[in-house]
Amino acid sequence: MAEERREITLRRFDLSDLDDYMVWASDDRVTAFCRWDSYTDKEDLRRYMRETVLPHPWFRAVCLGGRPIGAVSVELGAGCDRCKGELGYALAAAHWGRGHATAAVKMAVRSVFREVEGLERVEALVDVDNKASQRVLEKAGFAREGVLRKSMVLKGRTRDLVMFSLISTDALVD
Amino acid sequence: MQTDSAAVPPNHDHRKQEPEITLRPFDLSDVGAFMTWASDPRVTRFQRRGPCTSEEDARRYLADHVLPHPWYRAICVDGRPVGSINAKPGQGEERFKASIAYRLAYQHWGRGIATAALRAAVSSLLEEWPHLDRLEAIAEVENPASQRVLEKAGFLREGLLRKYVMLHGKSRDVVMYSLLAAGPKLR
Repeated sequence: MAEERREITLRRFDLSDLDDYMVWASDDRVTAFCRWDSYTDKEDLRRYMRETVLPHPWFRAVCLGGRPIGAVSVELGAGCDRCKGELGYALAAAHWGRGHATAAVKMAVRSVFREVEGLERVEALVDVDNKASQRVLEKAGFAREGVLRKSMVLKGRTRDLVMFSLISTDALVD
Repeated sequence: MQTDSAAVPPNHDHRKQEPEITLRPFDLSDVGAFMTWASDPRVTRFQRRGPCTSEEDARRYLADHVLPHPWYRAICVDGRPVGSINAKPGQGEERFKASIAYRLAYQHWGRGIATAALRAAVSSLLEEWPHLDRLEAIAEVENPASQRVLEKAGFLREGLLRKYVMLHGKSRDVVMYSLLAAGPKLR
């Protein structure tokens, strides 16, 4: 099992990753707790990759054996919010339950703190019902700060979110 | 234009009478009163903006930021502005929530004015914005007075958010508070 975790790498996306991306982006199990809906048209996903993913300040493919099985991104704040970034991630369902998301999150926060000057806080907001994702963050060393009630509209309903954070000076769980 | 004036009746707890305050939109002629708190570092200490340096600076801020703001009100005692309170709605699909901020001239601290203003603002906002589900506010960890105002006004403490926002060049720990539209009714 330790062997599989070492195979997780992060890299920038390329348009040639479209088919791999479509695997998780079209899966309702993956998008159940995402603000966006599953993609049904590859051209829509290609446009999203070209317009948002490729030029994004911090958006990475989560690769297993060099092939994308998911994505991880950090939305960086500006102005008064420049000390923080919001983490997001998605993983193809076939690869759930093996620690790959936790490994990807740990790698992502290490990299983003190193690369982005002035970043002190990485936060993640997780639906109260998304227990699997809460476990990923706990295993990666994030601190649970509290529940923000009715903080997000998900598929037409307002949801409570759990706020997690990792500060640049926190030790990552290893 | 609808006049926006909310009076808060005194509470029924005879041990502590909350002052009667009213809320109204600002006018450029309020610049003098505005300067009282906007130029005071004791007040601006917990705000993103530093102190106003001149009446011209304050006038420009009133004209460019306060008057066109979605919801910005003068807190008045005996009809005179002694502070301000504002609500910033979320954008697009986040319209269901709004964040509140307030500040009061230093000489009026410790009399329950901010609490009364916050209660009045919440009442008005829930009425004017029926699509609102959540009102939120943050108070710096080092600002227990503001935390008490929020708690007295019925906000729930949700958690301590570390290094959440930059203020005066440093990242700050804050406490997040919220009040739900569907929650227990205010008196």
